[in-house]
Amino acid sequence: MRVYQVPVHTRLWLATALITCSLPQLLLGPVWQSLLLGVVVAIRWLVDHQRMRLPGRIIRGGLLVAAVGMTWFSFGRIYGPEAGVALLVSLFSLKYLEMVRQRDAYVVIVLGYFVCATALLFERGPGMFLFVLLSMLLLTAALVGINHSETKARASSHIKTGSVLFLQAVPVTVVLFVLVPRVAPLWNMQLDSGKARTGMTDSISPGDISELSESSELAFRVAFEGALPPAAERYWRGLTLSHFDGRTWQQAIPRGGAVDSYLYNGRGAPPDWYQQLQAQGKPQSGYSYQLIMEPTQRRWLFAMAVPMLEEGEASLARDMRLVARAPVTQRTRYSITSFPDLRPAIVLDVLERELMLSLPGDSFGRRARTLADQWRRDSRTDNEIVSRALRHFREQPFHYTLKPPPLTTDPIDEFLFRTQRGFCEHYASSFTFLMRAAGVPARVVVGYQGGEQNTLGSHLLVRQYDAHAWTEVWLQGQGWVRVDPTGAVAPDRIALGLRASLRGDEEAQDTLEGLDSFASGGLLGRLQQWTDYVDFRWQTWVLGYDNASQLQLLRHWLGEASPLRIAASLVAAISVLLTLYMLILLRQAGTRRQTVLEREFWRVHQRVEQQVGHPLAQGLSPQALARVIDLKWPKAGPLAHQWAVYYQQLLYNPGFGAGKAQIRHLRRLRNRLYKLLD
Amino acid sequence: MRLPAPLHDLYERWLSRRLPRSGRVVLNQKRIFIFPTGYGFFYLLVASLLFIGGINYENNLILALSFLLASLFLVAILHTYRNLSGLGIRNGDSESGFSGASGALEVILFPERRDHLCLWLYWQGQAAQQVSVTGGEESSLWLNIRLNQRGRILAPRLKVESRFPLGLLRTWSYVSLDHYCLAWPTPQEWPQCPADGGDDHSQQVPTGRAGNDEFQGLREYSPGDSLRRIDWKGYAAGKGLNTKLFEEPAGGRLWLRWDRLEGMGDEQRLSILCHWVLTLDQQQLPYGLVLPGMTLAPDMGDVHRWRALDALACYPEFD
Repeated sequence: MRVYQVPVHTRLWLATALITCSLPQLLLGPVWQSLLLGVVVAIRWLVDHQRMRLPGRIIRGGLLVAAVGMTWFSFGRIYGPEAGVALLVSLFSLKYLEMVRQRDAYVVIVLGYFVCATALLFERGPGMFLFVLLSMLLLTAALVGINHSETKARASSHIKTGSVLFLQAVPVTVVLFVLVPRVAPLWNMQLDSGKARTGMTDSISPGDISELSESSELAFRVAFEGALPPAAERYWRGLTLSHFDGRTWQQAIPRGGAVDSYLYNGRGAPPDWYQQLQAQGKPQSGYSYQLIMEPTQRRWLFAMAVPMLEEGEASLARDMRLVARAPVTQRTRYSITSFPDLRPAIVLDVLERELMLSLPGDSFGRRARTLADQWRRDSRTDNEIVSRALRHFREQPFHYTLKPPPLTTDPIDEFLFRTQRGFCEHYASSFTFLMRAAGVPARVVVGYQGGEQNTLGSHLLVRQYDAHAWTEVWLQGQGWVRVDPTGAVAPDRIALGLRASLRGDEEAQDTLEGLDSFASGGLLGRLQQWTDYVDFRWQTWVLGYDNASQLQLLRHWLGEASPLRIAASLVAAISVLLTLYMLILLRQAGTRRQTVLEREFWRVHQRVEQQVGHPLAQGLSPQALARVIDLKWPKAGPLAHQWAVYYQQLLYNPGFGAGKAQIRHLRRLRNRLYKLLD
Repeated sequence: MRLPAPLHDLYERWLSRRLPRSGRVVLNQKRIFIFPTGYGFFYLLVASLLFIGGINYENNLILALSFLLASLFLVAILHTYRNLSGLGIRNGDSESGFSGASGALEVILFPERRDHLCLWLYWQGQAAQQVSVTGGEESSLWLNIRLNQRGRILAPRLKVESRFPLGLLRTWSYVSLDHYCLAWPTPQEWPQCPADGGDDHSQQVPTGRAGNDEFQGLREYSPGDSLRRIDWKGYAAGKGLNTKLFEEPAGGRLWLRWDRLEGMGDEQRLSILCHWVLTLDQQQLPYGLVLPGMTLAPDMGDVHRWRALDALACYPEFD
């Protein structure tokens, strides 16, 4: 059997397309995959240049077994997303080696389209998408090439044809993307992007948050519909921690409380605390926003108090937080409205009160307890205790720093009375302890505070270094009230953010320099704003274009998102586009292209007219043109007649065979004629 | 795939009604058919797999890629169709042959307004040939044709096919050219020369030059003269191309006659006449041909031979 030869003009396209398609996987996957592809491309090159025979079935089979074996060795399995994609890319390379018929070339290319798409399972940025589009363009050029069986075709014409097809396909793609209804998944295939990320953990001990503050990674974005809350109100609550063992704060629920009554997901009978919340009615003013979470591998979301979910899959917890149904493993969008005025509606029952007043064993915080007792005795109301405590933090020489000295045995007392240097978790922790010791129910809240505004999209960008911890105290009649002791020590931290508050701090300088911010420089900052804006829009418009936003958009456009209207608009839009393309593609060329003979005649005609100096009569035949020449330049007469006769022979005598040689002869006659015309 | 016979007949009749014979055809919407190839279906399968993947992983980008593949396919329909649309096809020359052997027909492709790349042309039972029509110039193609019987062999229905640019779709058209190829009768040896005139008794084949034609002189060569009568010596000596003239053979003119072969079937008569035309031509004896309804005056040379053979092929309907 004759081995299929990829046309010479297409080999380069095919090899480039192959490498481009595999590249994302090669960069992620084990090294042997790159080696395999290199070997395959080299063998193919040698085979194409007749330097070696195509490896036989046994060698190809051996390579296949080796690829499967190596995949098993590297991933421990051959199914599942990572291993599956790795195997697919290896098979793709091997198929390229196995191209012995034209059919195989088609299979390689169509498989290539599939391989391209798998890269998008793991990375969904706009850059990766553009790269995948480029790979697809190269594949299309290769597809055009293998269909162009003329040996003299030029390689560059393939990419041209491919690009035209591509450019025309893109508007149709956009129509399909916008209008084709999003179906619910047929079966569940949650994909874990598996990246270990920095972020909040579900307990906090001294030093946890100051570690976070060294990362400028994105935590989440918030896009407000309407006014932004003032900077000092931007507290994004993540977790409330109510159990303290003297060192670490942890989440806890009241003794005897059922976990399922703690969360309400909007289905079934609402628990009593939710009913009481509902009884208040919806306040008029609230902040509406879209929260776009980065993957955290955790279930809790970040929102301002008291969040009500408009869109998305999450439940409301009793402590006014949102909890997603499953860990957030990929960027996810939630629509939320927060009603700060709803805070007083939250109740505190006896068991919960007991939890919020619980303290670790007596060995922790003795001096603190004494101080708290004194405040209790001197104050008439809980409110007054809070003010006294805040005054204490303000007046004592407390210092806000990223590099607090280590606390060894009794963190509360050591911090409050000895080191007095700490980060937000130190202040929140000791403040909450003091409140509980003074008999005021209190808890630590961790989350993020602040956020940087992108002026292009006017959305907030909350980074890991915005992580923060503060306290909430229960005051009769006011519900849970936020108290931020850090604000008492370092007001700039709350109003301007971490960077501003630490600007004068020598120790923190090297940490700060490593952190990104839009404020970091003129052009660079501007560029970062743009990058962030594109990323944000990509997230909201492309990746976040789901069933709900589709319905909303279609309702806006079509008035009603009925299947009939969607189908009709889909058909109409595509028909309009295709008709337009048809008109462009099949249009009658405005000016007919001159044939070679017509051009020859036209040239002589032009030349004579130019030399004579006045326009010639209309509709001259070659013979008549020769007579004109004869009259004006008798010397050139015979040659002119010879030219005319030859011309007519070429034009009308079918036996003459108007080939290239004849045209060349005609051209020679013309050139000789030119020399005689002067 | 073959259709059952009655359906196939219906289909053939529908085709010939839809695409009547003509000497010049420009392919247009009415004549062009289009359908995905096997690869096209494979490609659509991959696109649907991506669609399902995109839905299941709730990955909008993979969905977008599946839409892009589908859109490329839609756009490819237009481009594939365009590659055939506006292609003109007309009769060219023809090359006759003896029945039982093969002849050839020339088909000329001309562009109406655009280039047509990688076209495949063939008719039933022949290997496809590839041709491109570019640069506004005509391309011609010789297609072999089996000559199964004597007479005018009409061009079979020609299939013009193209898969350019993506090979995902095949577009084709049938062209019934009003073009024919003449199939000369198969020569059949027959000892008796069915000829009148000349020496009535010289029924044996006169061998060689026999000295009964005498050299008369030279005249300038004109196309169609037998190459064997050219004065090659003179040509080599630089006297130009001349044809030698001989006196009429002593026996006078030979008339090959249909009537002389009575009692035989038409085809056999024609075959015998054909044999004698070839024999006499080889011996460079002038001969005439008399068929019912047609007479060819005695002469000799290539052109004369062709005329005689064509007349035998056309019998009984001469133009």
